[in-house]
Amino acid sequence: MTNVLWLQGGACSGNTMSFLNAEEPTVCDLIADFGIKVLWHPSLGLEMGNDLQTLLWDCVSGKIPLDILVFEGSVVNAPNGTGEWNRFADRTMKDWLTDLSQAAKFIVAVGDCATWGGIPAMSPNPSESQGLQFLKRQEGGFLGKDFVSKAGLPVINIPGCPAHPDWITQILVAIATGRIADIALDELHRPQTFFNTYTQTGCTRNVHFAYKASTGEFGQRKGCLFYDLGCRGPMTHSSCNRILWNRVSSKTRVGMPCLGCTEPEFPFFDLQPGTVFKTQTVMGVPKELPPGVKQKDYAVLTMVAKDAAPAWAEEDFFTV
Amino acid sequence: MTIKTLDISPVGRVEGDLDVRVDIEDGRVVNAWTHAELFRGFEIILRGKDPQAGLIVTPRICGICGGSHLTSASWALDTLWGTEVPRNAILARNLGQIVETIQSIPRYFYGLFAIDLTNKKYRRSRHYEEACRRFAAYTGKSYEIGVTISAKPVEIYALLGGQWPHSSYMVPGGVMCAPTLTDITRAWAILEYFRTNWLEPVWLGCSLERYEQIHTYDDFMDWLDEDRNHRESDLGFYWRMGLDIGLDRYGAGVGKYVTWGYLAHEDKYQKPTMEGRNAAMIMKGGVYDSFSDTHSLMDQSFLRENTTHSWYDEGTADIHPSDRTTKPTANNTKDFENAYSWSSAVLHKDFGRLEAGPLARQLVAGGNHGESWQHHDGFILDVFKQMGGASVHVRQLARVHELVKLYRQAEHCLREFKLNDPWYIKPTERDGKGWGATEAARGALSHWVEVEGGKIKNYQVIAPGTWNIGPRDGEGKRGPIEEALIGTPIYDSSDPVEVGHVARAFDSCLVCTVHAHDAKTGEELARFRTA
Ligand code: SF4
Ligand code: SF4
Repeated sequence: MTNVLWLQGGACSGNTMSFLNAEEPTVCDLIADFGIKVLWHPSLGLEMGNDLQTLLWDCVSGKIPLDILVFEGSVVNAPNGTGEWNRFADRTMKDWLTDLSQAAKFIVAVGDCATWGGIPAMSPNPSESQGLQFLKRQEGGFLGKDFVSKAGLPVINIPGCPAHPDWITQILVAIATGRIADIALDELHRPQTFFNTYTQTGCTRNVHFAYKASTGEFGQRKGCLFYDLGCRGPMTHSSCNRILWNRVSSKTRVGMPCLGCTEPEFPFFDLQPGTVFKTQTVMGVPKELPPGVKQKDYAVLTMVAKDAAPAWAEEDFFTV
Repeated sequence: MTIKTLDISPVGRVEGDLDVRVDIEDGRVVNAWTHAELFRGFEIILRGKDPQAGLIVTPRICGICGGSHLTSASWALDTLWGTEVPRNAILARNLGQIVETIQSIPRYFYGLFAIDLTNKKYRRSRHYEEACRRFAAYTGKSYEIGVTISAKPVEIYALLGGQWPHSSYMVPGGVMCAPTLTDITRAWAILEYFRTNWLEPVWLGCSLERYEQIHTYDDFMDWLDEDRNHRESDLGFYWRMGLDIGLDRYGAGVGKYVTWGYLAHEDKYQKPTMEGRNAAMIMKGGVYDSFSDTHSLMDQSFLRENTTHSWYDEGTADIHPSDRTTKPTANNTKDFENAYSWSSAVLHKDFGRLEAGPLARQLVAGGNHGESWQHHDGFILDVFKQMGGASVHVRQLARVHELVKLYRQAEHCLREFKLNDPWYIKPTERDGKGWGATEAARGALSHWVEVEGGKIKNYQVIAPGTWNIGPRDGEGKRGPIEEALIGTPIYDSSDPVEVGHVARAFDSCLVCTVHAHDAKTGEELARFRTA
């Protein structure tokens, strides 16, 4: 039996909704087939009021063993570090987190808010939000840089706005089935199995990327979204085009530029005027290139690619 | 004579956190206060940002009805920029919103509401064992299939927007996608799967066509008696058990209802304006006043907001939402004489406090106001009248009644797409004011945006939760949920499941409420307490 407690701080419930879309296993399978017991969850838990408060204190005291604490949403510190702007079960959420993080064997942060602070932490961050162990790319966060949970691991970060259901369920299953040793984390504490490749890996517009054929504006069935519409696919670590969303698609497949939501910088450029759905360029060249590509090489590549581009690269590729 | 005060923190399973304080006298609630306890400040965050920032930020106000926020955000920019929206794009936006709502119905019914029918309080009901068999969390037969199948409709959202939740595929001037034939045929197959695996066999116990013959309370009773499959369907079973345990006897509320109307007509709203919206929605908007039994049109200019009892330093006057400045107060101590919530009180300048949500939509759908071609459905209005007004039970029936209608609207979208026509017309950006609205699954939602010098000057949101969860207004009048709690019987004050029933029957999205607060003073997440 693996006990899971799921709490939400400065959250929108998007990760919960995403989690409920899971298949193989579904949320119900998770419970029936993998011995996972959801002690409580804001949208699914039975207890309310005093009953829940008792349950939470029992987790803190160790009376109920807390195997996995899942946290969704940012840690709200406002006003002035008190956390009073986010109260839950008769205390500040912050206080609950302080106590529960000492009791939990594993801590899993789901979604950007819990990992990096997310949208609430965007400037000017009125709620003084931070992630559990990071604020944006800066290590530390609410629990501190050196925090490790009882099992000896830092917070396992599953970013994304929201996190993909598989990223969540597979990590829960990995812990429940004793495969935790196989989970390698990157420098941002993300499980590499999901975040080692780029969003671009598996994108159906890759051939257009290669031939520098651009999707000039929305609502088209051709081209790559990198050159004009600000797609962050080549620079973003995610498996969105390998493990499809809702089993059927991904943003870039339908023609929506990747917003880079698995990276701590999301939303990029703080959504300053002129930066939304627009590639930032210097003299026509994208300011940001795929990691490891040099400006000079890129210019050569562009010339060659454009010369080599077959006619179909500029045509409606995904036809009606 | 003794009044007992009960603080419930949190109520839970209300799509966010809700705290409620109730005073109980002789086993009944005599006074109530609802609190939203989370503030994130989205409105503050949006200031000074790119005009299109709302398309990325506002769906994150609420991951449960993010598609509805996206819809409001895009229509708001459309009215601001004076765009032209091609009919394909209108259909694609509608379809996204429809499937989000269709998803929400089983997820809400089984996940949030029906679990409580297995509460030990009901063990003497003759339906109790069957309720446990069907609705027990995770293992109940219907719970499992209902919660699992709720993931299906949003696959259609993903075919248009790449993913659900949190796509931003709707943009001023249209949509980002241009679906192919395969996307459309696949979407049909998903709809069919949903119908043949759950909607007809489990939920209705009959065909969609048979259900569509129900137009009155008597029709519904006849349907229930007609066939064992109808009675034993989850809908039929819920109806019988709800009556048995008295859910029809409490939870009335304020008796006046509001809906913005939704699903823009693909040919009538291609040049969207704030003024032209009412006459261009398939599901019409309006206000229903049950005391005078009258319907009237709704207009955003009728709206007022009051923060007397909210944690904002914005004075005590009733002002239009777009005039709000969102100034959170640093000291959010609960003070029941003064401020006790991050939510504000929303008012209609003539009607005062109004209830938003599925019941409101259905009561308005029964009115003869609006355009002749707009959708009309008198079923829930008749049930409401026959049963003597609102209750937990009637609200619940209204919540699930939309399924078949929306299913048909989804089919309509799939049929009407003209794959070779445009999906997007590039707009020209300009400064000014815009307004967009829709109906999230759980009620009226609207966004106001003001752009100056190419950046957002003010962004305000009124979510369904703001309407329903709002605290007392400037005159001290209770908000809709506060009012609905009055008279609620509390069987066991250590397990006040009835308070949960009332709160959950509104399906209030407190995550939204928080956002709503945000809309007023910045972003907030509210925790709802019963105290
Ligand atoms: S659309 Fe984005 S993810 Fe796809 S190939 Fe182009 S840059 Fe890469
Ligand atoms: S495609 Fe990009 S923005 Fe979309 S979910 Fe994946 S990483 Fe996030």
